[in-house]
Parts: sequence; structure tokens; C-alpha cells
Amino acid sequence: MNRDELKLSLKELLIDGLRLQDLRPDDIEDAAPIFVEGLGLDSVDALELVVLVEEKFNIQIPDEDIGKRAFASIDALTEYVSTELLKSPE
Amino acid sequence: MRRVVITGAGTWNGFGAGVQAFLEALRNGRCAIGDMTLFSTSGFRTHRAAVAPTPEVGAAVPASLAARLSRSDRMALAAAREAWQASGIGETKLAAERIAVVVGGTTGGMLEAEDVLRRRRSGELGRMPVRGLVAMPVGSTADVLAHVFGCDGARNTAVTACSSSANSLGLAADLIQDGRADAALAGGTDAHCKMTYAGFNALQALAPDVCRPFDRRRAGLSLGEGAAMFVLEEEAHARRRGAAILAEFGGYGMSADAHHMTAPEPDGRGAVLAMRRALREARIAADAVEYVNAHGTGTPQNDPIETRAIKEVFGEHARRLAVSSTKSQIGHCLGAAGAIEALATVLALHHGFLPPTIHLEEPDPECDLDYVPGASREQRVSVAVSNSYGFGGNNTSVVLTTYA
Repeated sequence: MNRDELKLSLKELLIDGLRLQDLRPDDIEDAAPIFVEGLGLDSVDALELVVLVEEKFNIQIPDEDIGKRAFASIDALTEYVSTELLKSPE
Repeated sequence: MRRVVITGAGTWNGFGAGVQAFLEALRNGRCAIGDMTLFSTSGFRTHRAAVAPTPEVGAAVPASLAARLSRSDRMALAAAREAWQASGIGETKLAAERIAVVVGGTTGGMLEAEDVLRRRRSGELGRMPVRGLVAMPVGSTADVLAHVFGCDGARNTAVTACSSSANSLGLAADLIQDGRADAALAGGTDAHCKMTYAGFNALQALAPDVCRPFDRRRAGLSLGEGAAMFVLEEEAHARRRGAAILAEFGGYGMSADAHHMTAPEPDGRGAVLAMRRALREARIAADAVEYVNAHGTGTPQNDPIETRAIKEVFGEHARRLAVSSTKSQIGHCLGAAGAIEALATVLALHHGFLPPTIHLEEPDPECDLDYVPGASREQRVSVAVSNSYGFGGNNTSVVLTTYA
């Protein structure tokens, strides 16, 4: 999966997983904050989103600090997931 | 003493969206009780209920929040939006921390929680989804309303079974009278859910066809769902800003039957006490009351006991006042019943008519008051009482009057 495909797949996961009706992947800006401003997601969404990403990519988001950085934006999340995927044995 | 008036109202119920639709249905004696369409009622003694349409959440609510609102939240939101806009309170200079939110309910997001549980047990869901359950607590509706309308004042939720939203109105009025708030978004909401339907079925409290309050053939209640929300406001504040005042919240009275989990105390002592306390707080003489919006569930137990209690409180005057049960039209909306029926009462005061008790054709000899059977009646009303009684022995009566 290249970077653009990963980005799209993360946006789709966010939209489907959080049931954000009426939102398309193109509506989500790569560099915009995912929480509070930007998409307006909150801590309850964060709990769900962390589990969704962990399950889909079989990676771990071990603590809140790493989570905060990883979920700062779609760009940041793409970076985090691609780095973690490189570490995994597959 | 600070007085409390109603400057906005909204509803969502078996008659659909809004106060106007509700007013027309009350006046025309329509019935919202039909088939339960939200889930299977296979094996139950009835398949009937008053089902409300499903409200849109509206563009003002962020998509992620909208996706996890319960049906109870959505109905409350629709009713609150109507009340908020009608009152114009959002355009005043009133500070957000002076606006309270008080909601009554019984089961909150139970319908959605039941669905999550079903999908989890069937293996469709690999784990319990957090977002599918955050709307389950009854108190979450008040949180949602406060966030959407930006109310930073006192927040509370009344959960006293079928008197919940009569109590939420009383609690909100207390906050304003005590000076803890200047306005409040207050009311109740309750959506259908399997647990409630199955519970009332097991108690054999559901009418097989329709609820027939005060009729000798009455065989139980019909379940309904919906929401009604009000903007309650300190009277001087409302007057200064030139708000249109629908009615005055005169007072309320609470009492408890320490008697039985589901049956009312046979002499109606708790009901008598609640009505007397409400009248005393409102400083209204019993013989000034012209209309009583009864709890009137249509169960064999409630109706004669409530009738007896009304006779005890009003004496000879009981023969002159009108009594009716809005549950005959929209079913028993449980945690929302107190607020929806308070709205029916406010509409009676504001528009000058008596809402009917429909399906009442063969009066029970033990129920011998004027229940406005069959059709509404045009009549000016200036003082009214609305009764709400809940399982566990929770009794609340509310006094509402025209504003003068």
C-alpha cells in the first residue's frame, strides 16, 4: 500500500467507523486537526478511532502521548501507521 | 418572589413534529396509536403503540455527535430547538451560565443499547463499541442539549418513572425561583425500547387495542414516545425583553406512596397530597381550577383512584371542572409524559379549549366526572393542573395558569 492509498484507507476508516454520514474522503484535509477543530471529533471518538486503527493495521498505539501525536492529522496518522507497518514482521 | 413563565415550547410525538401539529390533533381528537413498527412484538399481548417519526438531527450538530445520538436524544433535540427558537432566548444578552438544562426520562438510549447487544451476541460485532453505548445513560440527553444550545448553567436529570418530566419542570422552576438560574431548557424525552415494551407486557398493563381511560372496558395503557421541551424564564426577565408568554408555571407538588412498586395507594392519598401541595405553592384555591389533565393511564387501577383523589381535593367543585387524559390520544410517553401533557395543558390555556379523552364511550360508574369524552370542547381556561404518577409511587402535580 503506498502513501496515498494508506491516506485514503485511513479517511475511509474514519468515515465508516465513526458513521460520519455526508462526509467524503476528499472533505478531510490531510493537514487539518482530526479532533476538536477540523472534523470536530471528541474524546469518545478518539477511544473508538484508536481501536479501529489498531484492529485494521494490527499495530499498537501504546500510550496517550503517542496517540496524541499520531492522531494530530491525517498526515501524522499516515506517517505513524506506515512507520509501524515497516516495523512489523510481515 | 420570583415568578416563572413559559416563553417557548416544542414537541415531537406520535402526531409528528411540532406544537402546531399537536394542537390540531388535540383539538380534532385524533388518535396516534397504531402498530409498533420499531421492533417485533411477536408473542406479546398487543402489537400497538404510538410511534413518532424519526427526527433529523440537523446541520448544527457535528456529524460525529449526530451519529451517536439516541432516538430519545433526537426527539429531545427537535423539541428543544423548537422551544429555543420560539422563545428567542438565544438572541438575548442572558449569560450562558444563567441558563439551566433539566430533562426527565426513563430509559435514555436503551433502544440503541439493545441493538448493540443483539449485534454483539450474534457475532456481528467483535467487541462492544464505545460510541454505540455513550447515549445509554438517561442523563446524557441533558448533556447533549446543553452542548448544542451552549447552556452553561445548572444541569440535572429527573428519573422518577412516569413523573420524571413533571419533576424536571418543577426542578427547573425551583432553580429560577431560587435565583440559581434565570432561564431553563426543561422537559422530557423517552423513546420506545424493547425492555419497556416487554416489561409492561409482562405486567399485563398494555391494552390489546387502544387505551380507554375512565371507560368500564379499559384494559390498560398504550405505550407512546416523544419529547416536549420548554423554555422557562424568570417573569421580570421575560417581560423586560418583551417575550411572548404562553403561560405561567404556578407551582408543583410532589409526594410518594410508600405502598407498592407498581400499584397506586388505593385511597389515592399520595395523589391528593401532590395536588394539594401544588395548589398551595401556586397560591390557588381548589375551586379556581377549571381543568385537570389527568395521569389517566387507562389501567384498571389508576383511573378510579385518580378520580377519587380529584374528588377529595376539589370536593363539590370536582363536578364542575373538566378532566381529560391526553394518553388516550398519544399513548403513555413515560418519562416524557409529564412534559407532553404539561404542553397539552399550556395549549388548553393559551388557545381556550379542553383536550378530549378519546375512546371513552362506556363510562365506568366509579369514574363519574366530566372527562370531555370523544371530542375537544372550546372553552376558556385560566387555571389548570396536570397530574403525573410513576411506578414506585412517584406523584407530581403541576399548576399552570394563563399569564396575567
